Amino acid sequence: MHRPAYTGFLRYAQGLFAGVLCSAVAEAAESTSLPDFRKDIQPLLNQYCSDCHADGMSKGNVDFDTLKPEAAVPGDPKLWLAVLKNLRAGLMPPAKKDQPTEEQKLLLETWIKRTAFGLDPLDPDPGRVTVRRLNRVEYRNTVRDLLGVDYRTDEEFPADDTGHGFDNLGEVLTISPMLLEKYLAAARVIVEQAVPLVPRVPAEKVLSGRSFRKPGATGGRDGSQSFSYYEAATVTNSVTISQAGKYQVLLNLNATERFVDNVFDYNRCRVVLKADGEEVWRKEFSRENGRAFRFEFERDWAVGDHQLQFEIEPLTPDEKQVRSLALQLNSVTLRGPMEPEHWVRPKNYEKYFTRETPVSPEDRHAYAGELLGKFAARAYRRPVDSDTIKRLADLAAATYQQPGKTFEAGIAQGMVAILASPRFLFREEDSLPAPDGGHPLIDEYSLASRLSYFLWSSMPDDPLIQLAAAGQLRAQLPAQLKRMLADGRSAAFIQNFTGQWLQARDIESVTIDARAVLNREEKPDPEIEKKRSRFRELRNRTSSSLTSDETAELDRLRGELFRSNNRLRAELTGDLRRAMRRETEMSFDYVLREDRSLRELINSDYTFLNERLAQHYGLTNLNVAGEELRRVTLPPDSPRGGILTQGTVLAVTSNPTRTSPVKRGVFVLENILGTPAPPPPPDIPPLEEAGKAIKDHPPTLRETLELHRKQPVCSSCHNRMDPLGLALENFNALGMWREQEAGQPVDVTGKLITGESFQNIQELKRILANERRHDFYHCLAEKLLTYALGRGLDHADTESLDQIVAQLEKSDGRPSVLLQAIVESAPFQKRRKTRPEESLQTRPAPGQRADLRKQP
Amino acid sequence: MNPLRSETRAAQRHLSLNRRHFLRGLGACVALPTLASLSSGSAWAALPGATTPTATTTTGAPLRTAFVYFPNGAIPSAWWPTGGTTDFVLSRTLAPLEPHRKDVQILAGLDHKNAYPGPDGGGDHARANGTFLTGVRMKKSATEIRAGISIDQVLAREVGHVTRYPSLELTCDASRKTGGCDSGYSCAYQYNISWSGPTSPMTPEGNPRQVFERLFGSGSPGERAASLARRQQEQRSVLDFVLDDARRMQRRLGRDDHDKLEQYLTGVRELEQRIERAERFGTVQDPAMPTPAGVPTEYAEYIQVMFDMMLLAFQTDSTRVASLLLAHDGSNRSFGEIGVYEGHHDLSHHQNKADVIQKVSEIDLWYVRQFARFLERMGQVKDSDGQSLLHNSMIVYGGGNADGNRHTHSNLPILLAGSGGGTLTPGRFVDHKSQPTTNLFLSLTDRMGVQGLTRFGDSSGPLVGV
Repeated sequence: MHRPAYTGFLRYAQGLFAGVLCSAVAEAAESTSLPDFRKDIQPLLNQYCSDCHADGMSKGNVDFDTLKPEAAVPGDPKLWLAVLKNLRAGLMPPAKKDQPTEEQKLLLETWIKRTAFGLDPLDPDPGRVTVRRLNRVEYRNTVRDLLGVDYRTDEEFPADDTGHGFDNLGEVLTISPMLLEKYLAAARVIVEQAVPLVPRVPAEKVLSGRSFRKPGATGGRDGSQSFSYYEAATVTNSVTISQAGKYQVLLNLNATERFVDNVFDYNRCRVVLKADGEEVWRKEFSRENGRAFRFEFERDWAVGDHQLQFEIEPLTPDEKQVRSLALQLNSVTLRGPMEPEHWVRPKNYEKYFTRETPVSPEDRHAYAGELLGKFAARAYRRPVDSDTIKRLADLAAATYQQPGKTFEAGIAQGMVAILASPRFLFREEDSLPAPDGGHPLIDEYSLASRLSYFLWSSMPDDPLIQLAAAGQLRAQLPAQLKRMLADGRSAAFIQNFTGQWLQARDIESVTIDARAVLNREEKPDPEIEKKRSRFRELRNRTSSSLTSDETAELDRLRGELFRSNNRLRAELTGDLRRAMRRETEMSFDYVLREDRSLRELINSDYTFLNERLAQHYGLTNLNVAGEELRRVTLPPDSPRGGILTQGTVLAVTSNPTRTSPVKRGVFVLENILGTPAPPPPPDIPPLEEAGKAIKDHPPTLRETLELHRKQPVCSSCHNRMDPLGLALENFNALGMWREQEAGQPVDVTGKLITGESFQNIQELKRILANERRHDFYHCLAEKLLTYALGRGLDHADTESLDQIVAQLEKSDGRPSVLLQAIVESAPFQKRRKTRPEESLQTRPAPGQRADLRKQP
Repeated sequence: MNPLRSETRAAQRHLSLNRRHFLRGLGACVALPTLASLSSGSAWAALPGATTPTATTTTGAPLRTAFVYFPNGAIPSAWWPTGGTTDFVLSRTLAPLEPHRKDVQILAGLDHKNAYPGPDGGGDHARANGTFLTGVRMKKSATEIRAGISIDQVLAREVGHVTRYPSLELTCDASRKTGGCDSGYSCAYQYNISWSGPTSPMTPEGNPRQVFERLFGSGSPGERAASLARRQQEQRSVLDFVLDDARRMQRRLGRDDHDKLEQYLTGVRELEQRIERAERFGTVQDPAMPTPAGVPTEYAEYIQVMFDMMLLAFQTDSTRVASLLLAHDGSNRSFGEIGVYEGHHDLSHHQNKADVIQKVSEIDLWYVRQFARFLERMGQVKDSDGQSLLHNSMIVYGGGNADGNRHTHSNLPILLAGSGGGTLTPGRFVDHKSQPTTNLFLSLTDRMGVQGLTRFGDSSGPLVGV
């Protein structure tokens, strides 16, 4: 591998250390030599590592004796990446052993990056992104921005597979035949919703249910209006007709009820609809199971005002009213005049059709090409060639030339094909001519898409595409970044990134049994346990099999077991889950928009609450009322503030009935410190033998974990995760504050593997946000870069990542600097140069149609 | 259950009503033998040139194979029967199979060596799942997915042409969690058991409504055949265009991207073949029942309705190959309905505590109960030859973990239900004494009429005496 040679690496390295990146890079360019393995690196390994990783020792399967110093690069990148990470995180050499000096560390780091990884700081390896299919979130947003249609991909498409915790990685996003079929079906449904298939339709006017009024009342708002079966009511509305003719009137109703267990409601009512005082429809309703009803009639209407009246009349005044039976008047649609000479352009017609459809076949074909070419360019997010336009026009013609088909239907068919094309479903990228021997930049259309899918999870808008077309996007990157973040679509970035990085999405589905969790905080009470199991037993039987005594017993037990209001309020209801998720999103959003230090994500004196969440957290004296979440300043030294003590993180890292300090510890290592522990060994030694040492009481979680850590095979990792997780033990699995667990006071003190001690969570947060901030910056940058690129990072990204982190460090963690550094980084801006063996000539010929059909 | 998205109680009620309606419909359907016209597949298989009947019993009825996966292994002491080959006594976990003991083989001694850590370290759940139907060692990577073709997809490839759909992949575990999956393995390994190739998982369908509409068309009974035909017609008209786009794009892209476009092209190819086959097989039978609503909130109901979909697909001979993932290995679902409020996976590491072991075996039993219900219905449906659907099927029920506590992958809990059209000898408890599970698969593919498949995954030869 060719690599330019440099000297003065130490000066370079020191420069980097001081964070003076640009000058460091410049100095590096002048230098001519690199650290040498035998001369510089081997002595370091001998001095600091050989106790455990040489001379017959190979802890963790790492043995530096097996390296071959004569090789150009001794050892593989995987090994050196592990060395680099452990060295930087202060994990190796272990805290109790001799530590290398900062200079020695830098020497090793530099050698690893430059020689072992072969990275050039002036032209870092940008890596290669596998062509990315739109995931289902991106598909939905893209369709919304392209056609204004909200297609529920969360219901219609299967969940996307993930890797590294993200669902937008090109390599992991596959297309199965089933998904392809869904894409074809979706394309049709979407186009049919968006694009008119005929040139003209009868005019339509929709009267909302709420615009019908009781005599004398005023109103006229949007939305539906509900009418109880049990109360007589008459509402009217009037329409002004300015063109005489035949009109269709369409009534749209549906029945509603509130479910009540095992009790039915036999009430009935009658509905009468009148037009200008004349009855046009009458129907009786009983319990209708939520069904929808539509009724249509025609009227010849002269110019002037016409009245519509809707009457409901109870028919069973003596029946019990148990289910709140009601009819919901959704809307009344007026269509007309129905005579074709009065028809108008359908909704959205001008959006897709620019002029009157030409008459001659040639002109039609040209017009079809013009319309579809324009749409394809937007959908494919880059210009389309004339051949594609011709194929699209042919496809449209094949449809609109069929008898009975309109020109518009032909265009729609072309649009279906566009939405089903891989050029829409995948994000095709192209690069500019490569500079001499370097890695080429991606073209500006690709850059526009990288930006929009990163910050909006959607397609580029017109300004981005126009800048790309003019070749001005790169030049205006900072301004565009700012504009895009200010745009409402950037909410998708907040949701999708925090949703996955902090796993906030999972709060919506995590199962936590509130009662089991709360019971743990008290001393176990055998009486209550007995009642509870009896209650379960009775509840699991069908109500018809219970004697009246048993039914009474069930009611009594229910009352006793659930008497405490607090307990019911602790339940993770939909409202509470949503509030928790919003808390996490808003925390990130606030730091981002106000450009505050990202360290506030770890430790802050504020958080975002509504009444329900404040109550759940026990923050009842902060005067937070109502449903709206808002920023609340916390009392001095409150344990809240920062993502670690938010309901989302606390609950998604818990088991269904209790906290899991291990899971919480792993969460912090993986998502905050970026030093994930290796997976547990396959053969976990049983704990029960050790557990028997404690005789007088059932061991607490902390005690169990302490026993665990005594096992050498467990200690190296559990010493890292347990203190982090145990520090959060004041928060139960529901995210509520607690003082005791299993009837014993909670002990949250601890010491990190890197040496810092803490008494409580407040202190731990301060340590993470200050002493360990570099780890946090590195971790966050890695997550964000993974998300931005849509690929997993590897050793080749070390240099780019270091440059991003250096800038972040220098700015004390400003999000604007981080985002800017990411979109300007080599992996975001470039593509790895093609190696000769990957060139077009040697690639297998693309599948021919004949081949395709030959398959079994 | 997703509390945020969960419907109101009324809507839940509505769903379960629908389910009852649906089952009633199924009952009506069950009473009828499969229409002769639908077994046209067997006739097709007997076309000149075909030497062995393809996925067909000796009586000319369709022969089906299905694979059902349950997670986290099973407590061995509660799973394995006692007694001899035919006079075995069912254990507590398998007790629900008592009414079907003549239709089921309990297979001991089947292993998946490639699910053991080997050089790859942790990740036994991902491996249990990914190895189960493939028999290969998966690449340990969060992004670079590489498994192998799964046995159901071998069948789809070899016998899929005789039915409208080569295979059906279903799941009752369609939602995803964020965060990493098992120990550095991509989540793709854990949520897919069917793979059409090393890098192509066959994403399973988790919504019963969508399965139904895909098989039979949308709309009310009576309208569906027309809607399905119209959909295929519309699809066909855009296939040429998208195929052209895909080929041009593939030519422009690098090698890594080639694979992705290949997946797209495979999908197009399959669709073309399906449309072709639809024309050959004529009109689709419309099951005279309402389309199922979406995903039921109750897990048991969800599983049953997905089993119903499989049954319906077999009954109408829409496919002869199916897989169903009940939950991914490592699933931490809790089972409040049977008083188990802790997570399944957490419990499975039971530290030999008796009460925890008891809870895990309750869950194992719960899953077997669901499967037994499916067998019951399969036993009630008459096939075109007068036998039951169950008789003319080979259904594997199992998991890739044996002892979930210790993550072992030997002596896996595996059942084989059905008589394979009279070619299997059910009603036995047989110890195969440490053979690759893939040997069992070879025995099944052989019966399905797959020619010349002598090795699969880590197989050493077909299982003798099944």
